[in-house]
Amino acid sequence: MTNIGVYICHCGTNIAGVVDVEGLTQKVAKLKDVSLAKDYKYMCSEPGQDLIREDIKNRNLDRVVVAACSPRMHENTYKKVLASAGLNPFLLEIANIREQASWVHLDKEKTTDKALDLIKMAVAKVRMDEPLTSLSANVIQRVLVIGAGIAGIQTSLDIANIGFDVVLVEKEQSIGGRMSQLGKTFPTLDCSACILTPKMVEVSLNPRIKLFTYSEVEEISGFIGNFKAKIRKKSRGLDESLCTGCGLCQEKCPTKVPSEYDEKMGKRKAIYTLFPQAVPNIPVIDRASCLYITKGKCGVCKKVCPAGAIDYERTDEFIEEEIGAVVVATGFDPFDPVSKEEYGFGIYRNVITGLQLERLLHAAGPTKGEVVRPSDGAIPKRIAFVQCVGSRDEHANKYCSRVCCMYAIKNALLIKEHHPESEIFIYYIDIRAFGKGYEEFYKRAQENGIKFMRGRVAEIFEEQKSRNPVIRADDTLLGMVTENELDMVVLSVGMIPRSDSSKIQKMLGLAASPDGFFMEAHAKLRPVDTLVDGVFLAGTAQGPKDIPDTVAQAKGAASGALEVISHKTLQLSPLISEVDERLCRGCGDCKDVCEYGAIEIVTLDTHKVARINPAICKGCGACAVACCNGSIKLRNYTDSITFAMLDATLGGAV
Amino acid sequence: MKEYATFLGCIIPNRYPGIEATSTSILKYFDIELLPINGASCCPAPGVFSCFHLESWLAIAARNIAIGEETGQDIVTMCNGCYGSLAEANHLLNGNKELKDKINEILSKVGCEFKGNSKIKHMIEVFSEDIGVKKIQESMKNTLDGIKVCTHYGCHFLKPSEIKKHGSSERPRFLDDIVRATGAESIDYKDKTMCCGFGGGVRAKDIDVTLDFTREKLKNIILAGGDCIVDQCASCHLEFDRGQAEIKKIYGEEFRLPVLYFTQLIGLGLGMEQKKLGLEFQNIPAQSLLDKINGGRK
Amino acid sequence: MTEFSPRIVAFCCNWCSYVGADLAGTSRLKYPDNIRIMRVMCSGQVFPSYILKALELGADGVLVAGCHIGDCHYVSGNKKAQERVETLLRVMKTLGLDPRRVRLEWISASEGMKFASTVKEFVEEIKELGPNLLGVR
Repeated sequence: MTNIGVYICHCGTNIAGVVDVEGLTQKVAKLKDVSLAKDYKYMCSEPGQDLIREDIKNRNLDRVVVAACSPRMHENTYKKVLASAGLNPFLLEIANIREQASWVHLDKEKTTDKALDLIKMAVAKVRMDEPLTSLSANVIQRVLVIGAGIAGIQTSLDIANIGFDVVLVEKEQSIGGRMSQLGKTFPTLDCSACILTPKMVEVSLNPRIKLFTYSEVEEISGFIGNFKAKIRKKSRGLDESLCTGCGLCQEKCPTKVPSEYDEKMGKRKAIYTLFPQAVPNIPVIDRASCLYITKGKCGVCKKVCPAGAIDYERTDEFIEEEIGAVVVATGFDPFDPVSKEEYGFGIYRNVITGLQLERLLHAAGPTKGEVVRPSDGAIPKRIAFVQCVGSRDEHANKYCSRVCCMYAIKNALLIKEHHPESEIFIYYIDIRAFGKGYEEFYKRAQENGIKFMRGRVAEIFEEQKSRNPVIRADDTLLGMVTENELDMVVLSVGMIPRSDSSKIQKMLGLAASPDGFFMEAHAKLRPVDTLVDGVFLAGTAQGPKDIPDTVAQAKGAASGALEVISHKTLQLSPLISEVDERLCRGCGDCKDVCEYGAIEIVTLDTHKVARINPAICKGCGACAVACCNGSIKLRNYTDSITFAMLDATLGGAV
Repeated sequence: MKEYATFLGCIIPNRYPGIEATSTSILKYFDIELLPINGASCCPAPGVFSCFHLESWLAIAARNIAIGEETGQDIVTMCNGCYGSLAEANHLLNGNKELKDKINEILSKVGCEFKGNSKIKHMIEVFSEDIGVKKIQESMKNTLDGIKVCTHYGCHFLKPSEIKKHGSSERPRFLDDIVRATGAESIDYKDKTMCCGFGGGVRAKDIDVTLDFTREKLKNIILAGGDCIVDQCASCHLEFDRGQAEIKKIYGEEFRLPVLYFTQLIGLGLGMEQKKLGLEFQNIPAQSLLDKINGGRK
Repeated sequence: MTEFSPRIVAFCCNWCSYVGADLAGTSRLKYPDNIRIMRVMCSGQVFPSYILKALELGADGVLVAGCHIGDCHYVSGNKKAQERVETLLRVMKTLGLDPRRVRLEWISASEGMKFASTVKEFVEEIKELGPNLLGVR
């Protein structure tokens, strides 16, 4: 015997002003299985809630319909009422008679009829709803952070300082990321290393952070609260436990090759650390250029190493770690301007990128902070910056990279400070100085005589004798085409997704935005979450951003991950799909449509069946539709419930 | 023997028969036969016509392709303009069935049907892909050593790059590679990829603007020390050749820069009889260049 | 004779279109009262049989509404819905049903206006088509 209680809300005059609530209540009371129908001024108020609670207890109601505002407003409120009265909260339905009736129609009679229909549909559904119980799963209270640039460092420190364990994995041989390559930072001009290295040291000293450098996450399996990661710790060609970081090997190594870290503006040895403050301060042997490894000759590093740490034959190690949440902080790559042929990068030696300039301006860079022309080592006196290279460009990337305006202005000011006599031009489309103190910084650059030229650069060509690059640009303020001969041109390249980002994306099942960066769960309200529960984003892996925004998002990701792992167990929504294994033939059609990898085909004694992992299933129902013999159903959204609801409104059945 | 249907366009038969004559006889040397397309009309010019009335332009271009297709071979053109028209029309029609049906309805009035089975190729592709730089280099009889060539690619072969897809559209190399294969030196000059001035109907509308472009290019070539200009387009060829005469007449400036279609340069390298190159039909005499080549040989 | 008042069922996904309909409400936009909304978790959860059942029971029109392509809460449920509805539309004629009675729309959570105008348009179109004969009892 079903005892449904229906409660109709007046919502002041919001509903009662258009719907004849009293008449409606009388009609509803006569519906099949409805043992009582009541109306009340504000159902969501304390007395309104008490009314339901009392009736459940005293009148033995076993299912409840509330006809009121949208379920998005108060479904949870009423669920709690049911639970507090000892009734399963999933035996509740909301008839949305405010947003879908009284607020959108004017005719009293017709609106009341529609409200009755909506209640009939809710009654039809609630009659067949099943009581559901949330599942709980144990949580592994550790977080994996992938990438140890400023984002990964900040996230790891926040989590560790609150008292939880972190596994921090960095692909490069030192932590620090792109920020460590930068000279000074806008708009305050602090030196990047001065603010970053203390944090790097903090990471290395924090006992709660397990740091893997020169390592890559190769596989991740499991689900929120229960992930397993396989980490490849690449061989450095030496025994890390013996190395003291004395640097003798680097000093004596005879092989010099262009340094990737210096953006090819300087050279490094075949055994090398990225920079003097590297964490850990342990070198790596570059197997492609080491003479001993490629030709079997040399072996100098092994001879000079006082600790006997060098081990050319050392192989990669694999480590497995269990974690409850993952933060992806894999960062960005700079746009490669070779494809913008009209700018001649890679052909004209005095055309360089913004990141190359950062290396020149870096006090510990290849020129110790002096900006010189690559072609002859002279100090350039006329320098131009070309903005939006690879950004805001139909032929490259449509998006704005958000940092190029500011870093160009910053570097222009730095050069001007060193050499006040130099002439500096910035060719721009729009200057986007949106951050705190940025517009003021832009103003300062203008006051310091930096010349801002409005118009996209059409092309760059070279005066052959002097090797001076010449910029041809449409000056949209003068309304004419201009030519400008310079000593050096700096291309303000934007940010693009890291070259290996699709590997990470596949491994974690993340989505990518049209720009190729990892996609957040909601552009505004869930900017650090992903659609994969338990996986969060920090920093430029999600999209171009500057250091303050990166740090802010990193702290947000830490809080998101902590929300998951700070509990020992977690509740999983029971509104998911289930398989009737008596009907299932194990064809796998459901597995093919599942975007979350929640379905596995398992072999039983005689046949195969699909199994849904309740911890991974999101309850979208795609598998139920794909199933051709109806052996999968989405709980409380079954065919029979849908048909009963359709019948309630169309068939006239009650 | 490989065969191509040859779309000549207007300028070559009317003004520069040397381009056709040289190309045909060199291709024969390399075992490639050019078949005529009987009844071909104006391509019609890409930018101008299509802007005024897309469907009329498409219909005429489609007719030219349709009668070329009847040979069962791919179609080759020697002018960037013709190439632009035919290749773009081919691309548009093959990518849009509705449009194709509409154009075919128009063509049915003259008993024609556009099928879209033939590829549209440019003479430069036949040389750089079918024959190849290596084979050209091996066939050279005269050394063009010491000749400084400035190449001009023109616009419609390369752009729009999304449709034409010939690789680099800002810094192309294939024509320079062919020049180098003849033994000549290909030298860089300012604004190499700039328009000759002919295009977009400018020549017909405003000769001053056209000649301003042409002058600029010629000046840059002279400044760079070029002995001649080598092009791959009949329209650009006309612009540089006839344009020099017009510049002389209007502005009194004389450049005397010989203008060669790239097959004419290859012809020189192959030791073809000079009168077969058709250079005497051109406005600007090539004598200075020929002397330099002959002098070099001594 | 009373004017034909169509009966329309709308399957609205929980994350976008249902919220869009709510927004039409909170914005007090007015639209015809012919429509009954069924909340589904995702437009990809709508079986073709739901649509056919609604028509069999006499619905004059069926609207399936989901998130815009690329915005699906479940990654690609709306793409699946699109494939299924388009296939269904192709076979409807064979079944003797007018495919104009079924409409697929992408309505985001911010498109209250679009929800209201879609309902208005659809009701007008169905009025032109007249009643679904399966529903005449």
